[in-house]
Amino acid sequence: MASSSQFKQLEKLGNGTYATVYKGLNKTTGVYVALKEVKLDSEEGTPSTAVREISLMKELKHENIVRLYDVIHTENKLTLVFEFMDNDLKKYMDSRIVGNTPYGFEMSLVKYFEWQLLQGVAFCHENRILHRDLKPQNLLINNKGQLKLGDFGLARAFGIPVNTFSSEVVTLWYRAPDVLMGSRTYSTSIDIWSCGCILAEMITGRPLFPGTNDEEQLKLIFETMGTSSERTWPGISNLPKYNAQQPQHLPKDLGALLQTQTREKMDLALVDLLYGLLQLNPDRRLSAKQALNHPWFAEYYQH
Amino acid sequence: MSGTFQTQLLLSRPYLTRAQIKRAQHNTIPDRRVYNQKRLSVFKLLCDICIQFKFPRKTLETAMYFYQRYYLFNRFESELCYDVATSCLFLSCKQVETMKKITDIASMSLRLRNVLKLSPEIVDNCKKRIVQLELRILETCCFDYRVNNSVHIDDILTKIAKDLSLSREVAHLAWIIAFDALKLEILLMVPQHTTALAALKIACELTKGASWPSIRYSLFESDEPSVSEAYFDLLNFFINAFDLSDLKANLPENLRDTGIETFIELKKQAGLEKGLKEPDNIMSDFLLMSERDFGIRERRYVLSRKRLNDERPIKNTAKREKF
Repeated sequence: MASSSQFKQLEKLGNGTYATVYKGLNKTTGVYVALKEVKLDSEEGTPSTAVREISLMKELKHENIVRLYDVIHTENKLTLVFEFMDNDLKKYMDSRIVGNTPYGFEMSLVKYFEWQLLQGVAFCHENRILHRDLKPQNLLINNKGQLKLGDFGLARAFGIPVNTFSSEVVTLWYRAPDVLMGSRTYSTSIDIWSCGCILAEMITGRPLFPGTNDEEQLKLIFETMGTSSERTWPGISNLPKYNAQQPQHLPKDLGALLQTQTREKMDLALVDLLYGLLQLNPDRRLSAKQALNHPWFAEYYQH
Repeated sequence: MSGTFQTQLLLSRPYLTRAQIKRAQHNTIPDRRVYNQKRLSVFKLLCDICIQFKFPRKTLETAMYFYQRYYLFNRFESELCYDVATSCLFLSCKQVETMKKITDIASMSLRLRNVLKLSPEIVDNCKKRIVQLELRILETCCFDYRVNNSVHIDDILTKIAKDLSLSREVAHLAWIIAFDALKLEILLMVPQHTTALAALKIACELTKGASWPSIRYSLFESDEPSVSEAYFDLLNFFINAFDLSDLKANLPENLRDTGIETFIELKKQAGLEKGLKEPDNIMSDFLLMSERDFGIRERRYVLSRKRLNDERPIKNTAKREKF
């Protein structure tokens, strides 16, 4: 296996959207790192996702965000050197499937991971950065139980106005309904919806809204959360993909629904937080800061 | 297999002082006059491309930073400078998210340079050069995008103007002045918000009835020496080249009598020219004293001095055993 001079390249960890990731060892400091080898496009040069990832991550120093240590240029190869994490949330959840039955985490672990996720997201938002692609695969964990946000390839700094963003961003299962309906003026609330979906998935071990296309994704969301109207979501009928003929659904009891899929007790505060994160109307969704101050997290912020 | 090869660890230093810039350019710019002339014509080309594609000013600003930064550490050759500039613009589009295909940018650049027959082969060769240069530009900036990421002069200028309750007239004038700043090496010396403060100060001084408030620059994450550096740089530019400035071409009706004398007067009133403190160790500064060696096989770039110190045994360039 090839080795760079400073880092010993170890096993392959996976393939990213625009890069291959290896485990590496800094020979001087003895610290393990993740080496993300960027594929340089012969046509369009350095991928813009790499440019964005480098630019945004170098600014973000927080214990719940994976650190980008340095960038290496070797001949015609670009390598980003990241903090090493043992696992990602998706793999960790998959490891708990017994037979074909997925199992969620113990509630204390769900809470600890969600708390850290929201801490990382709050820090991004304070620094005017949207992640736009939060999903279990992008949440890295280590054996100390730490969770960190990674893969900022789709992230961008946001400013005002925010009306020119592409609508093709968040992975479908974690994509907010406003984005699915073609809103291009989304903001921090896009990440909050994903945090809500991830919270539910950690509880049950199953994705909350596993749609296979935009229409099905919206249908699954509305079937559970109820259909929105101008009264509950002013402006919804102006969204490009709003369907006035959409079958009407009443909201289901989310707490009861999730309770059937977990042995842990769904307490009222948790259900209230889920509703706060999964508000259909983006303006009514909690901010990351508000979510962190939610009573379900009282045991953390009261100390 | 064993052998030796070199590795280099470089700390990003996105801003340098005037003397540091001069020292770096000593290695790379053989004829300052030609460089300055070309810089103006490159700026015009970049402006024209930005107009054609309706890019915002931040795309131009970022491209001009990249262009000037590039020639601190790469030898200036007048034949290549338009390709360098085009590559800077291509990269700046990725940086500030005003995406355009390389073919579009290359074709537009060639057309505006009056390349008459735009054969696919000519465009392809230009694209190849742009991609090759792009990586070199990224390296010259140590992959450090903090400078051009979220703060841009024109954006921050309007925000500061609002914060200081300055009139729309003053803010607009400062916005025009700040356009001229994009051509200057001040981009390499102080961050964008500092240049914005200096442009607003000059605009206040030029506008009848307006006065620059006595403020602590620390409130705007800046300081007196940095703002002074930008302020005097702009004044000197208008004193030396007012006739070529965009300010002259876009002066508001009530300021039509503004001329070189106006800026000489402002400079007189400002007293002794001051700015950033020059360091004593320029002549022993490794980064500035030699041309950047892009032949070293592994070049690593870091933002934090701590990381540099953690690997101190390696020093700047060390021969390492290959495993």
